[in-house]
Amino acid sequence: MVSDRRRDFKLDLWGIVLLVPLLISPFVTKDVLISSLTYQISIGVAATMGIYVMLRMGLLSFSVPSFMTIGGYAAAISATAGWTDIFFLTAISFVAPALVAAPLGAIVLRLKGIYFIFITFIFNEILQILLFETPDLTGGANGIPGVPPATLFGHELAAQPQLVAVTAALAIVAALITFVVTHRFRAEFTSIEENETLAESLGVALWKYRTIGFIASAGVSGLAGFALVNMLSTAHPSLFASWSVNSYIAYAFVGGRGTLLGVAVGSALLIAVTNYFSAFANLSAGLFGVLLIVVMMLAPSGIVGSFVKLADYIRSRSVTRSAPSIKEKQNEFG
Amino acid sequence: METIVSTGVIGISIGAQYALISIGFTLIFGIMGVVNFAHGAFYIIGGYFAYTLTSLLGAPFIFAVVLATFLTALVGYFVEIIVVEKYVSDHMATMLLTLGVYQIMVTGATLAYGAEPVDFRFPISGALRWHGYFVPYSTLVVLVVCAVAIVSIYYLVFMTRYGIALRAMADDGAVARAQGIPAARMFPMAFAIATGLAGLTGAIVTPILVLEPQGGEAILGKAFIVVILGGLGSVTGATASAFIVGLIEAYSSVYLGGSKGALALFVLVVLILLVRPQGLIGSSARKA
Repeated sequence: MVSDRRRDFKLDLWGIVLLVPLLISPFVTKDVLISSLTYQISIGVAATMGIYVMLRMGLLSFSVPSFMTIGGYAAAISATAGWTDIFFLTAISFVAPALVAAPLGAIVLRLKGIYFIFITFIFNEILQILLFETPDLTGGANGIPGVPPATLFGHELAAQPQLVAVTAALAIVAALITFVVTHRFRAEFTSIEENETLAESLGVALWKYRTIGFIASAGVSGLAGFALVNMLSTAHPSLFASWSVNSYIAYAFVGGRGTLLGVAVGSALLIAVTNYFSAFANLSAGLFGVLLIVVMMLAPSGIVGSFVKLADYIRSRSVTRSAPSIKEKQNEFG
Repeated sequence: METIVSTGVIGISIGAQYALISIGFTLIFGIMGVVNFAHGAFYIIGGYFAYTLTSLLGAPFIFAVVLATFLTALVGYFVEIIVVEKYVSDHMATMLLTLGVYQIMVTGATLAYGAEPVDFRFPISGALRWHGYFVPYSTLVVLVVCAVAIVSIYYLVFMTRYGIALRAMADDGAVARAQGIPAARMFPMAFAIATGLAGLTGAIVTPILVLEPQGGEAILGKAFIVVILGGLGSVTGATASAFIVGLIEAYSSVYLGGSKGALALFVLVVLILLVRPQGLIGSSARKA
């Protein structure tokens, strides 16, 4: 797929615009299904942003659940201690995992490919054990139940529509941060993704941009963790299981890993489909699997990526048709 | 003293189980460059095949284990041909495709047998008691089966023409093809052997541990650790590190408590990844 800065900018912007209805929906409808879909999609989108940022540098990170854990628990501990202001909780759930990611990135970002996947996966496992080993701080196996809802200028956002709206708002914030980071460092990220040796030889400081991406990925994952904890009023190790990352990876790849629109479309589609088949709850994981295989086989660049490719193809065909051929030019000049 | 020895035997038995599952995982990566995320699911369906044959169809356990191994290998063979073969050169695509296969297989197992663990028990109970030493018979049987399987795999990989061809493919696929080694035939067979090993492990280990659809995740996590320690793509490394992991797990669960030992193991793996990504033993067979 040919990279086109303006087109990618528009597609990414559409990815954010597509999230706005999530913020509005809790106030226009009380439908339980829509409410449930809204918060699930919001959390899915926010978490998948963590995958997306790293994919922009060609790295598949499995550490999203661990950063969600840090963000979620940071918010839960703060809220339980009485600091429930939504701006504070948003900040702490972004900053706490970002602070962990900074030194961690300096270590793990030396690895790439499958080794990077392994080390990020192991980080999830380590964090899960640490949750159980530190009951005084994290509640251990019981987690932190009864987390107070966030407040806005002293008003509790405890009603169901408000909780859903907070979740949607956090997804939009995560998308905006991702948008800013991936566009500010677009050239560097793309050069690292395409050929890091060449990028390095051209003066791109790999460690610097990888660390920036890793910190941003951790921060937005932390926001997803906060969204989840705030929605369910509890922080529990089971909410952040290591293998939950499979779903977020599937969202990114099915929608299209190249744009924010892909993340939004993939998350919305897969979560909606899973809910549609909720009567057959056991089938949902298998359905994920089928979709993942079908998309990887038929449209490896995802749904959005395939549409972009199709649009490129149609455009190139119409340009070829409208341009005069060499034979026509020869005839024209006798 | 008795505790130390008994724990050591259990550790070696755990190590043998991990070796079986990890050799398959590392074999697929070493030869094909594929990180098989469905490997844990093959372990599970091996267990379910054996369960169906023994508990539901009344077949003898030994026959069930052999047939379960073969059936799992057959499933692996077709998965390779249908899903993986075309995308072998694309690491990311094969990872996601096998992730999809994993989810389909787990869903299939859940639909067929339910989400709860099934009642699948090892046919031999009791333990060997000798001068205060205590080793369950099931552990000894697993140890023997694993030892035979590991020796067989070594024979296949290092002593046969087929094994030489496989190693040639792992070493340099392009040159091996130029020498006339048919990758189209080698890859599905390699995948079948590796998944057959996972099926064998599932068939003999799940009656001792637990047989449930989600059980593959934990075992895949263990395979990750073992192959990192041993060096991704190295069969010898996987075998040796599986026993190291098994012994650490056994002793730490007795002397430190389960989670502290696991934590120590994870930290050790992280350190090894950082200092020596090619693993403790030798160099990796393939660049990741």
